[in-house]
Amino acid sequence: MSTALARTAAEEALGFQLPNRRMEDWRWTDLRQLIDKPYPPRQKVEATPADVERLLASSLFSGVAATRMVFVNGEYDAKHSRQANAFVESTAELSDPVNLMNLAFATDGARLRIEGNVDTPIELVFISTDAAARTVATRNVIEIADDASATIIETHLGEGSYLASSVMEIRIGHNARLDRIKVELESHDAVHLAHAHVVVGRNVTFRDFTLTTGARLNRQNGTFRFIGEFADAKVAGAYLLAGKQHADTALIVDHEVPNCASRELFKCVMDDHARGIFQGKVIVRRGAQKTDGKQSSHALLLSETAEFDAKPELEIYADDVACGHGATSGDLNHDHVFYLKSRGIPEAEAKALLIAAFVGEAFDTVHHDGIRTALEDFAARWLSDHRRKG
Amino acid sequence: MNLLDINNLHVKLEDEDRDIIRGLSLTVKPGEVHAIMGPNGSGKSTLSYVLAGRAGYEVTEGSVTFKGEDLLEMSPDERAAKGVFLAFQYPIEIPGVATMQFLKVALNAQRKARGEKELSTPDFMRLVKDRAAKLNVSQDMLKRPVNVGFSGGEKKRAEILQMAVLEPSLCILDETDSGLDIDALRVVADGVNALRSPDRAMIVITHYQRLLDYIVPDFVHVLSKGRIVKSGDKHLALELEEKGYAEFTESAA
Ligand SMILES: Nc1ncnc2c1ncn2[C@@H]1O[C@H](COP(=O)(O)OP(=O)(O)OP(=O)(O)O)[C@@H](O)[C@H]1O
Ligand SMILES: [Mg+2]
Repeated sequence: MSTALARTAAEEALGFQLPNRRMEDWRWTDLRQLIDKPYPPRQKVEATPADVERLLASSLFSGVAATRMVFVNGEYDAKHSRQANAFVESTAELSDPVNLMNLAFATDGARLRIEGNVDTPIELVFISTDAAARTVATRNVIEIADDASATIIETHLGEGSYLASSVMEIRIGHNARLDRIKVELESHDAVHLAHAHVVVGRNVTFRDFTLTTGARLNRQNGTFRFIGEFADAKVAGAYLLAGKQHADTALIVDHEVPNCASRELFKCVMDDHARGIFQGKVIVRRGAQKTDGKQSSHALLLSETAEFDAKPELEIYADDVACGHGATSGDLNHDHVFYLKSRGIPEAEAKALLIAAFVGEAFDTVHHDGIRTALEDFAARWLSDHRRKG
Repeated sequence: MNLLDINNLHVKLEDEDRDIIRGLSLTVKPGEVHAIMGPNGSGKSTLSYVLAGRAGYEVTEGSVTFKGEDLLEMSPDERAAKGVFLAFQYPIEIPGVATMQFLKVALNAQRKARGEKELSTPDFMRLVKDRAAKLNVSQDMLKRPVNVGFSGGEKKRAEILQMAVLEPSLCILDETDSGLDIDALRVVADGVNALRSPDRAMIVITHYQRLLDYIVPDFVHVLSKGRIVKSGDKHLALELEEKGYAEFTESAA
């Protein structure tokens, strides 16, 4: 097995050892095998405005009034942005492989500081245009001031073959509220490696939703630290995966202080040979009493060759807590399909309705009506869209 | 022309060799109301499922013709668009699908399949509101997901509401009266009677004469062990109520 330790071509191009299945939380997503070609970093790629605008129009939220900030091939695009960067610094608390790679390769990224109540959503759009395979990396830092509130959308779009590396560092001040909505709608030939690191202050309301549906290979890490009491976080996600797509979400919710509540809810739909993984760990530190932490993941498998793995973990060092987890996996309920068909709804439409209903529970985390409706519409169309494309 | 012709129908479960329907024939003309009565397990629901097109059953012999076409060749949604409606004995709960959305998708899918124009949202809302009011179905029920959290009686009323909105030409009611209180029974029966018309027929499956006081049938059939063992007019139901099934079913063994 000594050859297995030699650098792969992809690792040569990156100058990095990729995570592999011998690492506990990468057991289902062995990047040394799954990343089978080089994606050299820091390549400058020019894009035409027409390409950028076409991709911008393909955002689920192109019809939602939002202040946009656009990054094209890893660089800020002033022409298409209505929001400028602020001066906030990365604190780079993490040292896992996804983060180290991002730290080394990031060429740009959003820097936002939110003060007061910002009503209009801010959409950060990350676009990769069709060019030679390469790594496109952005590192983003968002600071929500004490008492502030905002809705921040993160949309990842692209064409062609590339590896997108995205890290979000988010700090939410006391008494603040953040609604974060992420849509991973990368090119079907793309790799998406991301990490969201969120530090949650006292008395904060945090709502996080991620739709994972574009890339051929997706790994998203999330770390959520509660550092002030009486905060409430909901972290939800939906997978809509088909073909040979592979998506792995690994979350750590860390209750460092007492009296906080966390909910994780993932609804994952896999068709064809798609593979979904959900790894969720809730840590309750010594002294973090009255923690209320629950997580659940539910999979809907539309074909016999689709696969889902869940690994829920609780690590509890306090005694007065309410924590739990649950995971289910199954196919579409045949009685439901028959009932809908018996009322005249054709099979494909019946299935689409049931899929949208299944993931809809996760969309409920999204408060903004226009954003939630756009997500619902996408989910309702997804089955027929992906089956038509084949 | 007959609306429905069931001819010597034999049905078994796909994964079992036992026959459940064993040589059943029934002809239904437009405008007629047929009541089917019979002991538990005699095959009444199975017959209704086979007519609606549920998977899991295998027709081993016989035929079913609906409006001159082979019904058994059609998918459940095609049957619905052609005019077959089954009010389920046990209506199914569908979490996450709002009742209004479900009704609208169903109605417009049927209209589309028949080459009719889809109904606009305001026209659809008006139609549902009107039908719901007549069946005492509250706005609150319409806002909830399909049948989720409905009481037994509410589910039955919701089935009849669907029927009133979809306006099928063959209504199959599988024990719609069971679980209804006395007032609800009258409301549902009124709803069903309102749908009676010269070009619409009904097959009413029930255990109780009481429903047939409200929905007066043209024919009553006794189903036993997968066969119609006796047919008559509305007086047969009264006779059954008095004597029980034994007299009619013994000969069918
Ligand atoms: N899916 C099934 N699996 C196993 N047995 C079945 C199935 N469907 C029907 N049966 C059997 O077929 C027979 C007829 O059942 P069916 O439900 O049609 O009776 P029914 O006349 O509607 O009875 P009830 O008056 O109790 O509603 C019963 O013996 C029942 O157990
Ligand atoms: Mg029955």
